[in-house]
Amino acid sequence: MNRPPIITPASVEVANARLSTLSNGVRLYTLASQDFEVLRVTFVFNAGSTVQDAPFTASAVANLLAEGTARMTALEIAEKLDYHGSWFDVNIDRDNAYISFCTLSKFFDQTMEVASEILLHPLFPQKEMEVYCQKRKQRLAIERTKVDSLAREEFAGALFGKSHPYGVSYPEAAYDDITRSSLEAFYRAHYTAGDCFVVCSGQVGEHETEVISRIASALPPAPEREPLTFPRVETRHRVFTPHTGAVQSAIRIGRLLFPRQHPDFTGMQVVATALGGYFGSRLMRNLREENGYTYGVMAAMVNFQQSGYFAIATQVGSDVTHEALDAIYAEIELLRREPLPEEELDLVKNMMIGEMMRILDGPFGIADVSIENILCGTDNRSIDRQISEIRSMTPEDIRRLASKYLDPEEFVTVVVGDDSIGEGLFDNRD
Amino acid sequence: MTVAVNRDRQSKLAAVNLLYKVGARNENPERTGFAHLFEHLMFRGTPRIPNFDLPVQMASGDNNAFTNNDYTDFYITLPVDNLETALWLESDRMMGLDITLPKLEAEKKVVMEEYRQRYLNQPYGDQTMLLRELAYKVHPYRWATIGRKIEHIADASLDDVARFFETHYTPSNAILSISADRDEEELFDLAAKWFSPIASRPVGNSPIPQEPVQTEARRLKVERDVPATTVTMAYHMSARGSQDFYTADLVSDLLSGGDSSRLYTDLVKEKQLLSSVNAYITGDLDPGLFVFTGQLLPDTTPEEAEEAFLESIRELQEHDATRYEVEKVKNKFEANTLFGELNVMNKALNLGFYEMAGDIGLINREVDLYRGVDCEAIRRFSLETFRPENCSTLIYKARS
Repeated sequence: MNRPPIITPASVEVANARLSTLSNGVRLYTLASQDFEVLRVTFVFNAGSTVQDAPFTASAVANLLAEGTARMTALEIAEKLDYHGSWFDVNIDRDNAYISFCTLSKFFDQTMEVASEILLHPLFPQKEMEVYCQKRKQRLAIERTKVDSLAREEFAGALFGKSHPYGVSYPEAAYDDITRSSLEAFYRAHYTAGDCFVVCSGQVGEHETEVISRIASALPPAPEREPLTFPRVETRHRVFTPHTGAVQSAIRIGRLLFPRQHPDFTGMQVVATALGGYFGSRLMRNLREENGYTYGVMAAMVNFQQSGYFAIATQVGSDVTHEALDAIYAEIELLRREPLPEEELDLVKNMMIGEMMRILDGPFGIADVSIENILCGTDNRSIDRQISEIRSMTPEDIRRLASKYLDPEEFVTVVVGDDSIGEGLFDNRD
Repeated sequence: MTVAVNRDRQSKLAAVNLLYKVGARNENPERTGFAHLFEHLMFRGTPRIPNFDLPVQMASGDNNAFTNNDYTDFYITLPVDNLETALWLESDRMMGLDITLPKLEAEKKVVMEEYRQRYLNQPYGDQTMLLRELAYKVHPYRWATIGRKIEHIADASLDDVARFFETHYTPSNAILSISADRDEEELFDLAAKWFSPIASRPVGNSPIPQEPVQTEARRLKVERDVPATTVTMAYHMSARGSQDFYTADLVSDLLSGGDSSRLYTDLVKEKQLLSSVNAYITGDLDPGLFVFTGQLLPDTTPEEAEEAFLESIRELQEHDATRYEVEKVKNKFEANTLFGELNVMNKALNLGFYEMAGDIGLINREVDLYRGVDCEAIRRFSLETFRPENCSTLIYKARS
């Protein structure tokens, strides 16, 4: 039968969040939708690892918030959340900590009672801290037996420098030096009104807004502090880390670029997507479909508050590591030399718009996108702008951007694999 | 072919799910991993549509697939206006593939890399494989979807491919499920338009050898280069669909669902024997496993961990759970069901899955089945299931 016609969605509709600013300056964004009897409330604090003084403090604070408060023990908190089927979730990256509560509408009040305790009155009990540290220490040790995890850490270190807050990683033993007082101090300094905004999505009405406002209004003002300054970036371009016995090598290739606010960020997202952002991308076709070097390969733009980078990541058979590297460099070179065929570019554009729709399907996804937009200083109206930007890209734009930003001279290449891979790895690859 | 549809008024996307009732349990023991390899080959084009992915992506869609021991599932989400593109593609590849030797060879390499990435180059990568081989002696659940050994994938031939398609990828072995904001009748009509021209062939399933009752405790100890030792204990339990299945699921939640669960509070927080712990059911169609597994902290011996699991079992067998505790896990299940239905894809997936499991109405009744489990059922289940002679214990020891 005949191929059905294709309709590309003209726009992706998403409501803008309603903003109210509380007396202490906390911004509360609500995205009401009555379609689902659930709510998600996320408190975003500018309390990621970049602002910590000692290793692992930021993540320990975020993860220990629910481990005991003035009025509730860790077990009582867990019991109350579990009994109501509510989810409490902590995410942390270099810049921010995201503390989320998901609840059925009918248990909103019970869930927020716990939220209030967790956010406003955490105690960081000694015993819970010790349990947490030994757990995490072991988990990190296990992570570091994986080539992929090692490559991720090495890559950040190579891009930014090993002592830069975006590039640093710490030995597992640093968990032994965490103290209660350092956690308390970090909490007091960074879980403040000045560091926080809140996004609530789902079945949110007047009552819910009021309850959340009450909690967020109780956050104290931020103390006086020096603005965050970062040390100079120190990039290393070639890194090989041996991992004896590995049957696959992990590869990361990329370079420092710019954060999302930069005028070429969206354009570079299109470049990254064409290269390795979807199933039929050039790298997937070459490395996976044609050569069977890998199970998967991807390329993306990564955004930080004060920086951004382009990266390719894959794991390939040890015996084809050199070939895979050459194939990746060759695909990048091709993108820099020849404009993308019109049809391929259309496909990439349609794909990206579809992806946006999928992320925005459901109230929790909408919250995630809203948070990202707020962090970038914009709002959900930027989605439409971004879509028209994607649509307006021409084959020549792609070639120009690739040529400008994907200069092999600037590349950082990290390989983690069996010792034998290292030999001659970076010869003739300048 | 069976078709199930759901009108989803909240989403601008359509989800199309095509489930084939073939999984690793239908494999020849000398060609394991084939159902999964075949799933990969389904994306290698047909005589009419040489590239499957391109039209999906052109239609702003996303597609993928997975294989497990019981079935193989292909799914596409795309803007609802492009729904027919998904039906066009799925009906086309149900009519026949175009697999050449070079395509097969390239795909074998991809799957062998997947094998390396997920099983060989990962800490604890072979743990579940070892557990399967220990707990099952006869049933094909004794091997993982990826296959018993990497050589089985290397040995697959074009003949195998043709035969597998012929016997398993026939309309009567498939369930199509769609969730989209379209009238249900319209969705049925579209399914008929695209799929009714495909002639059905008989399904060539051979009977699946069922696992005899285990009568003796089994143990296996291996040493690996990993940072921490794990202890795993697996008990045979009943098949999906039985009331005991729900009891088992509830017991696993009682033990390890959330930070207030028994094993987490007792073994991780109180006694500090483990750094992580889990109790879960494998959830298979045929009788599956109830598994306890924990990662040991450096000062804990495997014997201590095993004894701790046994103690938690005795607690289940000798004392009734409190009504509060049972209510808690039921609430949790209800909430998770609702959270799981927030996007269009999960709805289509669930429709297909429950239809395959034999009763699509369960989607709406399952919460009640969990609600029907009481303290007595939990105790009886624990006494019947957690017997020493029904247990397979795997000690995965960190090489010091």
